[in-house]
Parts: sequence; structure tokens; C-alpha cells
Amino acid sequence: MEFSFIGKPAVRLDGKEKVTAAARYVDDLDFGANLLYAAVVESPHAYATIKSIDTSKAEKAPGVVKVITGKDFPYKFGMYMQDRYIFAQEKVRFVGEQVAAVIACDAISAERAAKLVKVNYDVLKPVLKVEEALTIEGCNHSTSEPILIHPELKNYEHVPWFFPRPESNIAHIRKIRTGDMDKGWAEADHIFTDTYTVPRYAHCAIEVHAAVGLYDFSGRLTLWTASQSPHTQRHLFAEALAPLGVAHKDVRVITPFVGGGFGGKAGVSMEILAAALATTVRGNPVKVLWNRAQEFYNTYQRQGVLAQIKVGVKNDGTIIALEQNLYWDAGAYVEYGANVVNAAGLSASGPYRIPNLKIDSYCVYTNLPPGGPYRGFGYSEFLFGLESHFAEIAKKLKIDQIEFRRKNCIIEGDRLAYGGKMNPNGLQEAIERVASEIKWGEEEKTTTKAHAKNIRTGKGISLFWKAPAMPPNASSSAFIKFNEDGSINILVSAMEIGQGFLTVMAQIAAEILSIPIEKIRVETPDTDRNPYEWQTVASHITWGTGSAVLKAAEDMREQIFCLIERALGKERKDLYLKAEGVRSHSDETFHLLYKDFVISGIPMEDGTFRGGPILGRGSFMPEYTSAKSNPETGQGGKPNVHYTVGAAGIVIEVDTDTGKVTIPKVVMAVDAGRVLNPDLVKGQITGGVLQGLATALYEDMRFDDKGRLLNPSFTDYKIPTTLDIPQEIVPVMLEVPGHDGPFGARGIGEHTMIPIAPMLANAIEDALGIRIKSLPLTAEKIALHFQLHSHKLIANDNHSSL
Amino acid sequence: MAILSDYHYYAPSTLGEVLDLLSSYKSPAVLSGGSDLIVNLKSGRVEHDAIIDIKQLQKSELALLKKLECKGETLFIGSLVTFSEIINSKIVQKRAPLLVEMAKTVASVGVRNRASMVGNICSAVPCMDSAPVLLVYDALVHTKSIDDERTLAIQKFFISPRKTLLRKKDLVMGISLALPKGKLGSRFVKLMRYRGEDLAQANLAILALSANHEYRVAFGSLSGTPLRATAIEKVLRGEATLTEELLTKVKNILPTLISPITDIRASKEYRLHMAKVMLERGLLDAALRREGSGSHLGENLI
Repeated sequence: MEFSFIGKPAVRLDGKEKVTAAARYVDDLDFGANLLYAAVVESPHAYATIKSIDTSKAEKAPGVVKVITGKDFPYKFGMYMQDRYIFAQEKVRFVGEQVAAVIACDAISAERAAKLVKVNYDVLKPVLKVEEALTIEGCNHSTSEPILIHPELKNYEHVPWFFPRPESNIAHIRKIRTGDMDKGWAEADHIFTDTYTVPRYAHCAIEVHAAVGLYDFSGRLTLWTASQSPHTQRHLFAEALAPLGVAHKDVRVITPFVGGGFGGKAGVSMEILAAALATTVRGNPVKVLWNRAQEFYNTYQRQGVLAQIKVGVKNDGTIIALEQNLYWDAGAYVEYGANVVNAAGLSASGPYRIPNLKIDSYCVYTNLPPGGPYRGFGYSEFLFGLESHFAEIAKKLKIDQIEFRRKNCIIEGDRLAYGGKMNPNGLQEAIERVASEIKWGEEEKTTTKAHAKNIRTGKGISLFWKAPAMPPNASSSAFIKFNEDGSINILVSAMEIGQGFLTVMAQIAAEILSIPIEKIRVETPDTDRNPYEWQTVASHITWGTGSAVLKAAEDMREQIFCLIERALGKERKDLYLKAEGVRSHSDETFHLLYKDFVISGIPMEDGTFRGGPILGRGSFMPEYTSAKSNPETGQGGKPNVHYTVGAAGIVIEVDTDTGKVTIPKVVMAVDAGRVLNPDLVKGQITGGVLQGLATALYEDMRFDDKGRLLNPSFTDYKIPTTLDIPQEIVPVMLEVPGHDGPFGARGIGEHTMIPIAPMLANAIEDALGIRIKSLPLTAEKIALHFQLHSHKLIANDNHSSL
Repeated sequence: MAILSDYHYYAPSTLGEVLDLLSSYKSPAVLSGGSDLIVNLKSGRVEHDAIIDIKQLQKSELALLKKLECKGETLFIGSLVTFSEIINSKIVQKRAPLLVEMAKTVASVGVRNRASMVGNICSAVPCMDSAPVLLVYDALVHTKSIDDERTLAIQKFFISPRKTLLRKKDLVMGISLALPKGKLGSRFVKLMRYRGEDLAQANLAILALSANHEYRVAFGSLSGTPLRATAIEKVLRGEATLTEELLTKVKNILPTLISPITDIRASKEYRLHMAKVMLERGLLDAALRREGSGSHLGENLI
């Protein structure tokens, strides 16, 4: 296919706004002199019963307008399960949970008064680990019955594809059963079992969460939020505040530019406070602005996981059976996080052909902050264990790592874990390209001069896959408007969170309508004006919203052709769009420019006009997905639209004394279906590699034995700087088009970070002969592991020489 | 996060006023770069009844606090001299490159443009980077108060974490370093969790002097206060070659000198292990630098 705009670089639509600081974020907006500020009173305990709240002192403090507690808002809300409260009711379930809020004339008065609210607690013993929350075979745990965090679980409303276990801390189990496990184990020549752990992580968007709510005297509730999900927020605000008489049409969410999301700004978290508080001070906007510490402990966190993996293989390396128990530390409220657990359970085989599967993915309540969506949506977490384990197996069987993956990787038409067939994909090509780029099998020379005797080199690889995790009917829509000069405005409600989607939407419309990118404007949404979008998550925007924009552009084309046929008598079948206008195959002289008719219409000889402003509309919903399945086997539905796949490889140098890793090269091959904008795909690859390396090398959330987060700041929660990036990142973009999506494109945004941690762990094993089974792989952990390992080797040597 | 505590803010134009204010308030704080002070005020870790900004003094007195000069063998660094000014000073680059090597590891460029080295030692957090360097130079801290002037030896300056010999009424005017004569090699080594800006998990400064083959060694972040490893220096004194045996010997002494702790930045075990690695690599490199070879300034050693 020949394209004019697709697959080509394009100047970012939001580039000028961002470099000139014209781009505005929630906290930059001016709300006038009546703006009020809210500060929250936070729970100091991980688990406690609230005995009483005394707000009297705070109410009398200077500048205070109102003090609000749970009594004022006894409502629940939630994305997939309604287990969350606007303010704590009766109990607090994590350190930092909002118990009350003070609204004041300025931020400092609000903060000061919040310290005057006296809350009396009966402190309860918290549950801080999945091993304490439930009985897990093979794990040490106390003999006493686990403490229940949500005794009311049986009454919670949830989506039909969740299966909670009342009277336990299990909010959901996703089970997958295929094949015959007994037969699988019997046929296996070897069985390998191990346990891997992944801690919690923070998104670390540079912009913190911010929300401003205004409830005017006409009953209109407007929210300005830093969000990935304006329409979903509108829906959840309307649902939660329905008892106050708020309806969807009355709620308006305006979302300006967002300074990074990574999943953390999906759904509704702290924004519910701005919505609720606004209703108590009608006519005054109220701002809730998180500080960096709150950003760490009272938004969503990436969930930790404990993965027990058992794999049966044949002598030739063929994987015959996989059993995997994933225990997710989902935190105090799982309204969003439970779907991470679900998505991971559905796909926990990884991109491998495994005939016999038994997966149990447990969503476990703990008294830590709520888990939730984070780039990768559970896939990074389970893949760390799975790809580490596969590398160990290949090593033990003395099969080359690449060969092991060639042999077992999933191919088009293979049966998926939940039934259905694997979509066309470029996984095999990705493996070959990565192997060749990192010169797999060839010895690497060290580039580090200093202390060369302590430097060991290693290489590691990992495959990856991910499907968008969405409700089966998640949908997108688009409007396109023509302007007098033939330029267009595209109205969608996806969010620009740095990924560059505005530009991609423009490229799609440009391709259909033959309008240069410079004449297209796409902006951030206002739910009153812009059409529906589910959320900017799941790497589905290019595919889903892109499909809606494509349809809207085609709709406009259709309207144009109809009008010209009707007004000018040109045959429709001869018409085509070119260079900002309409042309005809049968009449080369015909060239009607958009600017001459798209608003004002086509003049007729009698002085009348035909047409009028041309508006395109497009809706997209995958009509082939279903979340209905057998709860015991996971069979029967088609929960995923498709998988995006790829492979990644890394070359590292490790200093055996210090444990420090340097990275000469990373290669990332991803099958984008169709590369709509190569610069942006490259950007996603670079960003994904860095975010992945950060989670693999430096980051983790540390809690003390009271459930308090020990590192809620960048002083002790480290994300890489420019000094920490690999020397070379090689992007490999593959194109095996999908059956839908604009020009066959699939999402690649989250995917590029998924393989990083296991790939690095595999390279460290290759370099040092040590297998580290818990993240992160800090220099400290590597050095101490290696010291222990080499001492053992020395001890063994001494022993054998005796 | 906003500063919730109340305080009086002063920006006096004379040193006399500064000293008056320091003596008349109960818990005053001097503001130079503010990179520690403001963070501490915001977090509520400290409260002060007065903040005295010393950056708006009249020209002649400001010049005194911003002085960075070498007279003979003495390098004077005024209390308002920032880390960036140290890095960019031709004099320091030439006469005391160890200071530059250290300063380049402090925080990030933005912070270094504001933060002063004197402020660093006044805050006296155990992981400060300046202290080990000042220790190997036997630096002197010059203070002034409404009643007296004092010169304090850096060796005695640090009492415990965040505590120094400074009294509430004292203003530090500057630090002076006695620059050793003859051929000199030096090395600053800082253990960080990554290459970006970080607080030291451990740090180390070494001077390798040609006279008597003397070495000076000081550690930071490995005990409550930074420490000069005199026991190690004693073993090395007069040794022309750093043999493997000698290095093993000093590495074995090291655990008796330091008392590393386990905290969020590192475990005791890793700190101890790395202190030995840093000591060995640092000594070897400092010795090479003394002879005109060795690593480039600021090159990664660990």
C-alpha cells in the first residue's frame, strides 16, 4: 500500500505548545478568587476502626470553610468492583487513606487545620503480605486464620467476569484450565518448579494528581482533572453521586494536558474527592492537589506478585505443561486492580504454545495502598518469573535460549489459553532479528577499561506479548469538523499523555482526506463537547480511537462524494480525494477544493446552494469479544481482541565486586501491525526500555512492619536519569497487519517495558551464573549474591580437592 | 508541600545585623542555598523562629562570604560559595581537584548552582559529600558570633548526625584548607544507587602525598559522623608500593573503624563490602594519579 502520511515522520501536534509552555495542566489553570483548597486527613494506620472524629478545632481554625468526613459521603464507587469509599467508613485499610477533608480559603490554612482534626482509632493487626492474607501451599504462614479485610465482600457489586470468595481475602480468582495436566506431567521428561517475587512499583509521572471541582447553583458539576479517563470519570462521578441527584448530563469533565500517566491516572482515584467536596461548597471551585508523597501512597500502585511456577518439558525442550499460581498483593481496594489480576491470568502462558495449562491468578486484599493499572497491566509481573524460569530450564537442558524460544513460541492459529486462535503476528521474525542484532552466541568484548578483571559480560533475551485488557464493549468515537479554509478539527476523548496520539490521529485523517498535518488540530477533551472514549489505557488508542477517526474521515469522504454527485452530477465512482480537494478519474480538469464548499456549500446556477458544514462521525467497538466464560476453566469467551508480540535482547557488563551493571546495547523488536509513525514507535521503545530498566535495576516500594511506605520521594525511590541510559537502544519495527485497526495497526505502548526485567535477569545469570528470583536486581543484590555464590564455589572446590 | 510553620524572614545588609539576629532568636537558621533548609521546613522536620538570608548583604561583606581564593598554600572557601562555583573555579581545578571531583557528585546541576559547601557541613547529615574531602585536607572552619571569633578543626567539628560544634549564635564565615606541597594524587569515590543524582551510600576521600609516601583517608556515610581513618594511614605511611598484602591489611582494619548501618539506601553488609572495594580501588588510583597517570577526574571507579 502506498501512503502519503501513514508510516512517515510528522511534526508533533502538541510540540509547539509544550516547548513554549503554552500547554496548560490542571494546576496551571486559573479558577479566580473564589477558588477553595482542600487538604485531607490521612490514616496513620494500615488497619484500624475509626472510633470517633472530632472536627471542632479544625472548624474554628482561620480560613476554614468546612470540614467533611465519611458521614457526609457514605457512598461506594469503583471501576470493576464497588469496594472503595470516598472517605473511609468505619475502618481505615491503608496508611494514608483519606478519613476527612478540610476546605479552606488557601492551601496552608487547609493543611494546618487538617492537623487539628482528631481521629480516635482502635488499631487492628494489619495484613501486609499475601502470605498473611491467605493460606498458600509452600509458603510459611501463621497457623491462625487470616484476618478479613473486607468482611462485606459478598455484598459488593462487580463485573460478571469476577469471582470473589466471600469470607476470605480473595477478591477474584481467574482460572484457566486447558488440556490434561495429569497427562502433561506424565509426558514430561523433566519438571521444574520455582517461586519468583515482584514488589510494588510507583508510576512516577512528573505531574502529580490534581483535580478541581465546581458544583454550581444550577446543579452542574464540572471537574478539571489530570486524567487518562475523562468519560469513565464522568460515569463514575455520576454513579457515586447519584444519591445527590447528579445525572450524567450534569457532569462535565475537562481534561487539559497531562504530565504523564503510565496507568496511574486511569479510572478514578483522588479525583472523587474534588467531585464530592465541590457539592458541599456550591458555587466555589475546590482544588485537591496531591503532593509527591501522596502521589506515591494514595494513588494506584503497581501490584506486587508472588508467582509459583511449575513447568513440564520434554528432553528436546518442548514445553508440555505449565502450572502457575499468581498471588497478587492488590491492596486495600481492588476496584481497578482486580482486572489486572484477571488480564494476567488470561495470558500467563506468555507467548508460548503450551498444550496443558493450569493458571490460578488470585486477587488478594492486603492493608497496603490500592493496587491498580500500570503500564503492562500485570504482564511485566508474571513475565519476570516465566521468562526467568524458561531461561533456567533451557540452561539445565543445555538447549540454546534462542532455540528454546523458536521451538515453543506461539504462532498464528495456535490455540490460546482461553480458546480461540492466535492472531497473525511477527514473533518468529522478532526472535531472529533480536538474535542477529545482539550477535547471539558470540562472545562479547568488554568496553569498560577500568578494572577489566572484575567485568563479566552477559546476554539475555525475553519474548513478550500483551493484549489490550478491556471490557468486551470498550469503545471509542470521533467527530471531525471542517473549517472555512478546509482545515479540520478532530474531536476525540483519548488523552495525550506524552505518547503522541494527537499526531497519529491527525495522520490517519490526513491519509483519508488528503489534508496536510499542519491543517489539522486535535485537542484534549471536554466530555461536553468531545464524543465518548472509554479510557486512554490498554495501548488501545491507536487501534481503537484510530479506528473511530478512520471511520469519521471515511464518513466525511462519503458525504463529500454524495454532495458532489447531487450538486454537480459527477459520478461518485470516479471521485477521489487529493490535495485538499476532490478530483475525478474521468475528468482531469475537475478539482474542487475543500475550502470552496465544505462550510458554505456548492453554489448552483440559480443562486441557491447545496450542502452545508460537513461533519464526520465514527464509532468503534470490537463486536467479536466476550467476557463470558466458565469460572472454573476460563473457557468459552473471547476476552481479548488480539495480542501484540515481540522479543527483546540485551548485552550487559557487570562488575563482580560492585554489582553495577552497564548496558552497551538493548534491542527491542515489536510487531506494530502497521507503523503509523516511526518516530513515536521509537519513542515508545526508548521509553519502555528505560522504564523497564528502572523497575528492574533500581525501583521498589518499601514498607515497614506497620504498612508505612518508607520511600515516598525521589530521594529514595530512584528512576533513571540521562546518565543511566543504555549506550545503544536498537528499535526493530515489524508489520504483520491485523484484521482491524487503522491500516492494520495494533498498540505497542505498554509492551516495550514488559520483557525488560526477565531479559536483564537472564543476562545477569549468563554473566555471573547466579539466578536472582526477586526484583529489583540492584547492584547490592547482585554483588552480595555473587559474593555468596563465589564463596560457595570456593568452598566446594576446597571440598573436592580434599 | 507548603511550609506550615511560622517564622520571621530577614535579609540583613550587614554582618553585624546577622550576628545580632542570630543571638536574639531562640532557634534561628541561616539561609544560603536553602537546599536542605527549605526541604526540612516543608517536611516539618525542623521549625525555626527566624530565617536569616545572608545573600543580600552589602557588597563588601557579601564578597567576604563569596570569597574563593588561594593565598600561598591556603585555599579559602567562603560560606556562600556554591558547589558549581567550586567546580568552575580554575584555582580549585588546579590546586585541589579533589574538591571538584567531589562537588560534581553532589545532587544535580540545579541544586549545585544554589547549595553551598559550608551549608553542606552545617547540615551535617552523615551522607554529606564534603566532609571526607575536608577531613583529608585538615580543614579549618572559621566562625563569627556577636561575642567571639573561632577557628574549629574539621576533625572535631562533627559531633553526631546533624549535630556540630556550632552554637546557635555562630555564623560560619568560611573554610580554609592547607594544601600539601609536592606531588599529590587524590581520589573521591562515592557509592550511589545509580549514576543520576543520589545521596552517598558510602563515600571516601584519599590524598596520596609524595612526602614520606603518606596517605590520608576519610570515609563518610559509614558511621554517625564522617571519619578520618588514621589507623589505615599509619599502616600505609612510608610504603612506596601498595602491595596486595598491604591492601589486604588495610581492608581488614576497615571494619574496626567504621560502623555502617542498614537503611533504605543500603544494607550494612553491602556498605562494608563496598567500603573495602572503594578503599582498594581508591588507593591504587590515587597512587597512580600522584605519578601523573590513573583515571580521569570524575571517571567511574566503582
